[in-house]
Amino acid sequence: MSIQLHDVGKTFGSYTALCNVNLNIADGEFVAILGPSGCGKTTLLRMLAGFEQPTSGEIRMDGEVVAGASTLVPPEKRRIGMVFQHFALWPHMNIYEHVRFPIRTHKKTPKAIRDNEASRIEQVLELVGLSHLSQRMPHELSGGQKQRVAIARAIAAEPSLLLMDEPLSSLDALLRMNMRREIQSVHRQTGSAIVYVTHDQGEALSMADRIVVMKEGRIEQIGTPQDIYLRPETEFVAQFVSKANLVRGHWDNDLFIPEGSGSSVQWRGAGVAGYFKSNGLYPVRPDQLELGPAREGGLVGQVANVQFQGKEFNYDIVAAGQQWEVVSPVPYKLHDQVSVTIPERELQYA
Amino acid sequence: MATSDTSVLETGMKKGGGTFPRSLLSASSLGRYGLLAFGAAATFFFFVLPIAKLLLLSVQNEQGFTLSYYFELFRQERFWKVLRHTFVIVLGSTALSMALGIVAAWLMAYTDLKHKKLLNLLIVLVFVLPSYVLTLSWSSFMGTQGLMASFLQLFDAGAKPWSMYSAGGIIFVMGIHHFPLVYLFTLNVLKKIPRDLEWAAKTGGAGKLKTIARVTLPLSLPGITAGGLLVFLASLDNFGIPAFLGTPVNISVLSTLIYEEIIGFGPSAFARGASLSVLLGVIAIAGTLLQWFTVRKSKATETGRMDDEPRYALGRARAWVGGAMWGVLILITIVPLLSMITLSLRKSYGGKLNWSTMTLDNYRYVLFDNPVIWQAIKNSLVLSSITLVVCLVIGTLFAFYRVRKPSKLNKLAELAISIPYTLPGIVFALSMILVWMEPVPGWNPGIYGTTTILLIAYVCRFLILQIRSGVTAFMQIDASMEEAARVSGAGPWTRWQAILLPLLLPGIVGGGLLVFLTALTELTVSALLYSSGTQTIGVTIFGFEQAGKTLYSTALSSLIVLFIFVGAGLLQLLQKWTARRGGNN
Repeated sequence: MSIQLHDVGKTFGSYTALCNVNLNIADGEFVAILGPSGCGKTTLLRMLAGFEQPTSGEIRMDGEVVAGASTLVPPEKRRIGMVFQHFALWPHMNIYEHVRFPIRTHKKTPKAIRDNEASRIEQVLELVGLSHLSQRMPHELSGGQKQRVAIARAIAAEPSLLLMDEPLSSLDALLRMNMRREIQSVHRQTGSAIVYVTHDQGEALSMADRIVVMKEGRIEQIGTPQDIYLRPETEFVAQFVSKANLVRGHWDNDLFIPEGSGSSVQWRGAGVAGYFKSNGLYPVRPDQLELGPAREGGLVGQVANVQFQGKEFNYDIVAAGQQWEVVSPVPYKLHDQVSVTIPERELQYA
Repeated sequence: MATSDTSVLETGMKKGGGTFPRSLLSASSLGRYGLLAFGAAATFFFFVLPIAKLLLLSVQNEQGFTLSYYFELFRQERFWKVLRHTFVIVLGSTALSMALGIVAAWLMAYTDLKHKKLLNLLIVLVFVLPSYVLTLSWSSFMGTQGLMASFLQLFDAGAKPWSMYSAGGIIFVMGIHHFPLVYLFTLNVLKKIPRDLEWAAKTGGAGKLKTIARVTLPLSLPGITAGGLLVFLASLDNFGIPAFLGTPVNISVLSTLIYEEIIGFGPSAFARGASLSVLLGVIAIAGTLLQWFTVRKSKATETGRMDDEPRYALGRARAWVGGAMWGVLILITIVPLLSMITLSLRKSYGGKLNWSTMTLDNYRYVLFDNPVIWQAIKNSLVLSSITLVVCLVIGTLFAFYRVRKPSKLNKLAELAISIPYTLPGIVFALSMILVWMEPVPGWNPGIYGTTTILLIAYVCRFLILQIRSGVTAFMQIDASMEEAARVSGAGPWTRWQAILLPLLLPGIVGGGLLVFLTALTELTVSALLYSSGTQTIGVTIFGFEQAGKTLYSTALSSLIVLFIFVGAGLLQLLQKWTARRGGNN
């Protein structure tokens, strides 16, 4: 299903939850909506589901207006599946009944599925690896199993759009990594479009075809995971997604001279977004910076804090009156003097 | 898989995927406003108007507005005597309830007593029994023919137990009847106090007693106060206990005084009753507001999580503390109940009781020989069944809107609906008479004196109980349960039938059973509203007691006890059944 959002806005009283959102989602595309809590991402998702009505603008699905200021196709009449943050399993139904519910209930379940209900249920349970638990009740399942049931229920009637509202946030860290793989596999096998809401940039970067970064009800940037991570266009995206340091300095065409470095240091940055250029900033991720023995002529700083992380160290480096986060495998001690550079290989995208 | 026949899918989409045209939407919103207006009007008519009429009558005579009824009251010696009695009885019984309730709650919440479930059931039973059944149990237990007398006569042939027909007796029965309220409130608060707060106090160097005094008590105080105020209100409202135990020895409280005024008729009986009711109502509302504020305050401190694990090991004391608790509870409920039941099995009040003289005659009389009693039982059953159904439907729907679509308007409506239950029953009953004699000037629907007025009164008074249990039940169902059903294609009907009702059932059936049993055994409101042919069970027992026919009143009361046990058993079964279905996860 292809989806177009045109100038969509939503206000609750005097509070603006969404403002002029424009977004196109292609059939079969996996789109992640990424942002901190309160950025409007859940409102946007609930609008795609049909639980909320936009106060302005309109939403089209396959060309047809499904929501606008005066129209609203309710969720039960849209062909969608949805996975909720806290699973939303019905405590009085077993797993088999959960998967059967949308197949029987949805008026638009394809005839092929309706006619072969049992084999469809078996097929879906197989896909999420729960065939052997079909008679269990929700309270007899672990968190990961519950989320698999929720996914199975959401895809059972073969929706053309699958909505996921922070589906991994109620699971523990290890399980989250495994479930990412499962969601990717569900996406590959069903081929339906997925809109995935999350505040975890790792989830968005690892699974999505495209990421929509939101802040305070507005879209900050839309792009592929690489685009978003390597070429942020706003301060917020740089800090929220790539955890970048915003180095102050000044631009000389495509060359950046960090503040307090004399002019001996120059970083190339043809690809850095216009916003940073006009504000005298250079976004640089902690892993882009390299630490070395202090030497004359470069940027020299002092280690203000160090945290051992296993395969590397997280440093806070104070240099040229600014504090930067740097990730480096080389061990230094607190108060050591170090030089800070960006190696040539890290400038290739810039 | 899904990609195999998307073309079929898409054409299906286009055919079926219609949108609501604008006109349809506005038509449905017109309907919604109509419904809203109707609801608001009905709420005003049934819940607010009666109180307005009552207020008006108390300040009006033929000449116009006047406070003369109040001044007349204040001049009467009797009024002040009743007021004194009321306060002594209400405060005394509240103090007793609080003492019993707090101790029981602390033991049940924090110690490692055994069989807590059973103990809890036994405690709640004291409150579930209608107050007049408990009263009859105690008066037969302590009566000259009762078990206590036989027990005392083992030591001294002339010994007579303490008479229950006294202010002390009223205080005692009221105190034990209401202590479960304090118990439940305090238990809830105590269990929600995080135990790490106590640990923190102990690591800070506070001993056991100091921890209780400086941490547990201050944190539970709002809850305890709220429970205490609730008991204060319940005691003020109670009619059965003072009517059974006080009236025969000329001890009146405000609720029984209003009853006597109205029943005694005489000139301006209604107006005097109304002004007394307004006074009683004002005290009750002041108490309710105070209670409401303390509950709000206690909500601010609670963390929400119940901690059921014991915090204090009683050690060697466990056996005797547990034993004492069982002993006290059995003594205050089971023994008096048995005493009442054995009394109902006697041939005559003075007769000796043994296996050969035991008889079911009284039951035969009550159930089969006297058509008036049978009529009363039928009335009560029909009334409480209809009340149950009406409350179940309206209350559940209202609770749904209250929880899912909260608004100022439905909050206000809930407040209005809670008025009849907040007010003392006798006050509410009088307001019902006033409003239904002539609801709109010039229109007398002629329902005063029929079962219809009882039905309206029951529904109005008990609707809030059903709403509260409905609200609790809905709060436990996350909105995402319904949303998951909606995206699965379920329309409103399927959502209710397949998701909401099965999940709500245990909660609303519990509430419904409470409404049913309360209506079935209702006394206060019925006592003012019944007329010949529309007696209820409560009124009939009251009548027997006033006429001195103790054997019949105890037989009928024993039947009620049986009924309550059956009802509680059914509820237990239902909960077991839904638990097995995974209803509570």
